[in-house]
Amino acid sequence: MASLSATIVLFIVLSISIGPAPPLGPFLNPNTGFWANAVTGDSKSQTISLDSGELRDSVRVYFDEYQIPHIFAQNDHDLYFAQGYVTARDRLWQMEFQTYAAAGRLSEFLGPRTVPYDRYQRRIGMGFAAEQALKGINKNENTREAVEAYAAGVNAWIKQLGPEDYPLEYKIMNFEPGKWTPLRSALLFKNMTYTLAGRNSDLRMSNTRAYLGDSFISEVMDLDPSWNDPTIPSGTPWNFEPLEAQKPNSNFQPSTAQDLQPFQPDPMNGSNNWAVSGSKTKSGYPILANDPHLNMTLPSIWYTLQLHSPSVNAMGVSLPGAPSVIIGFNEDIAWGTTNVGADVWDWYEIEFRDSTLAEYRYDGEWRDTEKRIEEIKVKGSETITDTVFYTHHGPVVQDFSGESMRSGIPKLHAMRWIAYEESNEVNYFLKINRAENYEDYRNALRDFKSPAQNWVFADQKDIALTVTGQYPLKWENQGRFISDGSDPLYDWQGWVPFEQIPSVKNPGRGFVSSANQDPTAPDYPYYLDDDFAPFERGKRINDRLAAMDEITGEDMRKLQLDNYSYHAAKVLPMMLETLDTDTLTGTGKESVRLLAEWNYHNDSSEIAPSIFKYWWDALYREIWSDEYNSVEAGMSWPERDQVAYLVLNRPELSWYDNRHTDEKETLEMLINRAFYRAMNNLKEEYGTMGDNWQWGNVSDTDIGHLAQLPGFGKEDLFTGGGAESVNAIRGSHGPSWRMVVELGPEIKAYGLYPGGQSGNPGSPFYDNMIDDWNAGELYPLWFIKNETVESDSVTYSLTIE
Amino acid sequence: MIPVLLIALLAWILGLFLPWWSLAIPCFVLGAWLGKSGGRSFLYGFTGIALLWLLQSLFIHVGNDGILTARIAELFSLPDPILVILITALIGGVAGGLSTLTGFFFSKTLLQKQVVG
Repeated sequence: MASLSATIVLFIVLSISIGPAPPLGPFLNPNTGFWANAVTGDSKSQTISLDSGELRDSVRVYFDEYQIPHIFAQNDHDLYFAQGYVTARDRLWQMEFQTYAAAGRLSEFLGPRTVPYDRYQRRIGMGFAAEQALKGINKNENTREAVEAYAAGVNAWIKQLGPEDYPLEYKIMNFEPGKWTPLRSALLFKNMTYTLAGRNSDLRMSNTRAYLGDSFISEVMDLDPSWNDPTIPSGTPWNFEPLEAQKPNSNFQPSTAQDLQPFQPDPMNGSNNWAVSGSKTKSGYPILANDPHLNMTLPSIWYTLQLHSPSVNAMGVSLPGAPSVIIGFNEDIAWGTTNVGADVWDWYEIEFRDSTLAEYRYDGEWRDTEKRIEEIKVKGSETITDTVFYTHHGPVVQDFSGESMRSGIPKLHAMRWIAYEESNEVNYFLKINRAENYEDYRNALRDFKSPAQNWVFADQKDIALTVTGQYPLKWENQGRFISDGSDPLYDWQGWVPFEQIPSVKNPGRGFVSSANQDPTAPDYPYYLDDDFAPFERGKRINDRLAAMDEITGEDMRKLQLDNYSYHAAKVLPMMLETLDTDTLTGTGKESVRLLAEWNYHNDSSEIAPSIFKYWWDALYREIWSDEYNSVEAGMSWPERDQVAYLVLNRPELSWYDNRHTDEKETLEMLINRAFYRAMNNLKEEYGTMGDNWQWGNVSDTDIGHLAQLPGFGKEDLFTGGGAESVNAIRGSHGPSWRMVVELGPEIKAYGLYPGGQSGNPGSPFYDNMIDDWNAGELYPLWFIKNETVESDSVTYSLTIE
Repeated sequence: MIPVLLIALLAWILGLFLPWWSLAIPCFVLGAWLGKSGGRSFLYGFTGIALLWLLQSLFIHVGNDGILTARIAELFSLPDPILVILITALIGGVAGGLSTLTGFFFSKTLLQKQVVG
């Protein structure tokens, strides 16, 4: 009987997961394990019969050679149902994972190690924000029906899955698909707000002011180099009477500068879009282009599809988990987006009455806080209950309990964030998918509140761009530093009226564009933020567009791939002049030669971009490390263009001197020292100079798996471009979707993203577009106007009844 | 040889509609019925299931151009994707072998009891 026990023990051991490993029996067996996720043949056309009552009519879905679904439904309910069904078919695990992550529920299947992450998500109020979004969505019949139909479609797909059909990641992480709900679609939208408007530097700016002084703020951090070419052309008149925000008499001095880890800000999620008017194009009709830069992952954040019903015919990219097309075109118009980056996340210092946090001081009185209980379920462990205190500003993210969650979060401060506002972005998307002209576009924009976006528009005759969003009414610099939570003058005092947000239609220059730069010239009467993306991409796009004529879609594709570095063109000549070349030998001499010959394009096969980047980074550190590393607190570092401006225009600044040495350092000395450091660093990391120094190697582009599973991403792409190039690839950040749309009687569109339509790592369509994306290709998008059953472009179809 | 092929065939058929552990059923039965010694019984089950899982996974591996085996190998830090196939066969084999062995001992115990009784 020992044998029987041994056998039973073995089968049990193979059936449970040990540590992070999946249970081996179910995982390895060829019928239902991971092997079942390996795609071994072409998909075949089929008819799927659902339970009666799920669909009102039958839906046909045609898949083209890129596995893009073209959904044809007889009504909008069926359309969004089918969108949910088809998206889940390709991306279910991603939808699940992203919304679990957003809601702070990862520990439900990943166990105790993700509790700190989940706790943070709860404490910044993601659940609260999603509830606000759902409130907004449910108030409108159309949007409520769309998210409910979408959820029903996802659930219909889940219902017919057996364990062998679960996406691979479920098998690896050993959990099962959960029910999809409209709240999860709402979470996805608020998560986009977190991705794109989830940043603030209040504490770091306050620390910077406390440690380096007001003179540093005014000399360095306030600097707004005049190179900037704003989104809305300078000189655009503001024909309105602005609302006034009431300003406090004196600057609030936060009580504590906190002990925090030094912090290097993440690269911002920047993007490009533009539209040129018919007067500048070969066809005589406008062309619109867009490439949103986001963290590039597998599966990709985007899913391409076409949605057709009697009320709509739109195509473009969607977000798995949400109904409608997010960026795309229909038979009449095209639309695209870039992020605005306005300051919509502020911290308030709160004076609590006692350690119960039950009351706080506001406007001379004690006010009650509200409690929100967050229950974090943990796999293999007890449920954690976390109480979050809410003031009228928002939640107290970090209280006494628990460890410090993230740098940049002050203790006992309340967080005010745009995501806490009730909103219904879904309605914007439903409307823009159906828009026929400029008026429809403007009308749709009223529903779009956050994250603030530069929505660009084109139809056959008009082009336009609106710096869209719900902006708090603020006095100049309000919320740049930590605010006084007890003084009503520090509250958001209302909103900038929709008619007064920056917008431009058919400007004289014949194009509109945005690249996350300052939205307006300084004469715009409202304060949106002090800190937008550096000028380089925006300026380059505007220079090129201004110089171009007889533009074609192909020209626009090339402009999206433009690797020119305005930054290098500005500062490198001065750096080379300052460098003492007499003493250089070998690699140093060769480097100077390469830099002098360089055309400032960050091309993948060039070595000069690598040398320049290392030289600039070393110089940046030489200038600022002594100031910033002398204190423990996290502070805000100056922007690239601010430092470039100082280096070129203020050679005598006292900040160049290293405060830790007796010697008096000058800018000239730092530039020379930085060059030697750059040489050493490059040699250390890449060996002696050669092909290994090529920019494509040094720029180090990886497209990782969404949950960072090894082997499930695509590593070490050889890419050009860079943070300051229009082709903004840097690390794992970059153009997550490239699209060019030629407007006209017969609309033509091109696009692709660095990924594949399938979310299944065992499918050839998981990462098939990456190489073509890296080569700068765009796929012609097959946009079907009238449903045709017979076509060479259809690889297979689904009929859902 | 015949027990091996029978085990593979029956386990394959059962696996089409039952969970993975259903492989124990034909192994147990055949181990009890045809097993001659402990060692040989184990070998029947081991070879039968290992062969089945090897063929199935090889078939999938080839049909899939090795896309997934390469990813799984990297996921588990295995130096060669072929190891994914071999480990699959090995684990299946051990499960199969222990099952036939159990079947063999089970019948032997039962038989002895009957003889004694």
